[in-house]
Amino acid sequence: MASSQAVFPVRPAAASRSLLLSKRASRTRRLTAAIGHTILLAITASSALAVMFIFFYIARDAIPFFQDRGFREFFTSVEWYPAADPASFGALPIFVGSGLVTLGAILVAVPLGITAAVCLSDILPFGVRQLVKPVIEVLAAIPSVAYGFFALVVFAPLIQEHGGWILAITWWCIATPPLAVAAFIGGDLLADRLSGAKHASIGRWIASTILFIVAAGLLLLVGLRFTNVEVSSGTNALNVSIILGFMALPTVISVSEDALQAVGRELREGAYALGATRAETLTRVVIPAAASGLCAAVILGIMRAIGETMVVWMASGNASKIPQPWFNLLEPVRTLTATIAGDMGEADHVTGSARYHVLFAMALGLLTIAFICNTISERVIGRSVAKVR
Amino acid sequence: MVLLLPIIVGGLRAFVFRATVEHRRAVLELFDHGQSDAVAAEIAQATAARQPVFELIGQFERELESMSWSDRRTYAGPFDEFKDRLRKLLGPFPGDAEPALIRSQYGQTRWDRAQEELRHTLYRTEYDYSDTSRMGRPVAVPRVTDFEGTCLEPLFGMLERDLEPMLRPQWTFYWRFLFDKSIDAHFFGGIWPEMLGTLYLTIGAILFAVPMGIISAVYLVEYAREGWLVNVLRTCISTLAGVPSIVFGLFGLAFFINTMHVSHSKSVLAGSLTLAVLILPVVIRASEEAIRAVPQTYKEAALSLGSSRWRTITRVILPASLPGILTGVVISMGRAAGETAPIIFTAAVSMGRPLHVWQTLSEATPALPWNIYNLCQEHEAVDEIRHVQYGMVLTLVMLVLLLNATAIIMRARISRRLTG
Repeated sequence: MASSQAVFPVRPAAASRSLLLSKRASRTRRLTAAIGHTILLAITASSALAVMFIFFYIARDAIPFFQDRGFREFFTSVEWYPAADPASFGALPIFVGSGLVTLGAILVAVPLGITAAVCLSDILPFGVRQLVKPVIEVLAAIPSVAYGFFALVVFAPLIQEHGGWILAITWWCIATPPLAVAAFIGGDLLADRLSGAKHASIGRWIASTILFIVAAGLLLLVGLRFTNVEVSSGTNALNVSIILGFMALPTVISVSEDALQAVGRELREGAYALGATRAETLTRVVIPAAASGLCAAVILGIMRAIGETMVVWMASGNASKIPQPWFNLLEPVRTLTATIAGDMGEADHVTGSARYHVLFAMALGLLTIAFICNTISERVIGRSVAKVR
Repeated sequence: MVLLLPIIVGGLRAFVFRATVEHRRAVLELFDHGQSDAVAAEIAQATAARQPVFELIGQFERELESMSWSDRRTYAGPFDEFKDRLRKLLGPFPGDAEPALIRSQYGQTRWDRAQEELRHTLYRTEYDYSDTSRMGRPVAVPRVTDFEGTCLEPLFGMLERDLEPMLRPQWTFYWRFLFDKSIDAHFFGGIWPEMLGTLYLTIGAILFAVPMGIISAVYLVEYAREGWLVNVLRTCISTLAGVPSIVFGLFGLAFFINTMHVSHSKSVLAGSLTLAVLILPVVIRASEEAIRAVPQTYKEAALSLGSSRWRTITRVILPASLPGILTGVVISMGRAAGETAPIIFTAAVSMGRPLHVWQTLSEATPALPWNIYNLCQEHEAVDEIRHVQYGMVLTLVMLVLLLNATAIIMRARISRRLTG
């Protein structure tokens, strides 16, 4: 003690000068800190409030349309003749078109995406995942106009020539992976029910294979029925649905994979410890635990598909009528985004007309849908994280 | 992958193709590239090879004049059509007045297009409506049947046989495609104005978005206390990330152009600002993650050395998280370069010259994504410039993929450094 004091002599006066600030210095320092804090907050708030600005400015130009023409025509009429005199602004077919295309995209993206996510997180080895993740990321980065170009120049002629086969192949592509996984899991479950522990693995393989063959046969039969379909135009809802589905795929895969990963080792190991097979663990533990995350993946996929502009503008045919029957993907449709993009070129010169404001009304609709989807997915993800913890 | 294959194959054809003598002539006359004497010699050879064609045509014209009036009428129509086709294939005839459109001053510049044109020169398309239950099927009718028994008849065989010496195709690597300006609506030249426009828009967006994004991230991570305010801010940012891109375009039009009047009408500045709002959430999220990844011990060490909070952030935390932030910036550059919808109403025009830097404040520019759309939807001769469209798509996709690959590699480096 004494020696340390000798080595580091403490001089009380100097210490008090360096450690305690004078009142004035401390006040200025606190003031600058407060000002800096406020400036940072202001900048952050302004970037966060950009979304408020967007809402405000879109709504400001959308409201004159509703004041002028009311809600009823916009949402219920099927007559979309904005350039005619008198003009009519029935956006129902356009809403239906957006919905139809999104539905188609989801039908493509969700089975494939969730299967891929399950495979990546629980079935395939870790190395594959390391390889596939960057590829998926790159797929997500390809600009939408490149997808649109592909849809218009490469895919549309294909559909026009061989529409039935495209439909069949799409059906096989969509339905095979989920059915394969289902057969694999089903085979597992079946084998566990039927045989004892002795021949479990052989029985499992046999059961899986039989189930798979049955499923594949069914698939083939249904697919072959599609090949007779004739397509009159390549730019239709089917084309756009398939392309949009593939565009939404990376989102669906990565979000649902994250959800499955978030379930964690403990739950899986707990299930194994209780004697569950891998299939049982997957179907009884992992997927239920990740269900809300999977929901969020679907919602984000919907958002991606509904907000996409270039692909639908280039390849959906842009005919504003409701397909007959409503789920007929082989007819051309027109979507909200494509209408905004396509009509603004003409409406731009008449700023202030109903024709200009109706596009903002559509944008407001899109924005509202996006906001609702976003809120739901946030809630759902938040809840799933809380549940897993 | 299925998507990329046709784009790569088709796109490469814009760069590597069998160029005819007309291509070399156009490049020499319009861009002043190439050796003029070599090209002149080639043109002389090609002209010599074409001589018999024009002689036959002159002969037929004389024959036409000596015919009876009704015969002349039956031949005149098909003959004019045939001559127009031939002009498209080989360029204007000797003795023609110089055409006004640049595209009609030259023949076909590419051998693949030339063969397509040759097919149209030799055959005309008629539709077969015999099966009434289906749409009319196209049938190719040889034009030679129109001129049977006249002196024009041998010309068709000659064209089919001797097109090669007339056009002299050679394999060419046209790297200038990237750096030439386009002439006559992309019939000649390259995509430099679009490249430059995309570059300006991307850099502009980064300039606006990155400072804002990093500051917001610093605030959210280092300063903000968890509470309702931060929750609201976070919700806003995630909602911003979910706004459809076309809505950004309308917002840019309504806010930056019609309300703020940053420029009289569309301009690079307005487009960059709109794109900046679009990529802001990406930048904020990436920077937030990068800042969070800096070990807590760094911060504690800096604070314990007596540095202030701000100094800790600028001297310790930001340098340590810089690679992560840069990764986010590179990814958002790719996003900004590829987006079409936001720039439709705020920045993009279909035709334009390359801009100087100071013009970006007030003038609109062509840009790769918009011009891809424009060329394959609204161009007057969509089929004739497919190679340009493919070339543009390939350039854009490669640009974006390159940026993303850079980001992925950078991130791998960082994680390796952080783990050991």
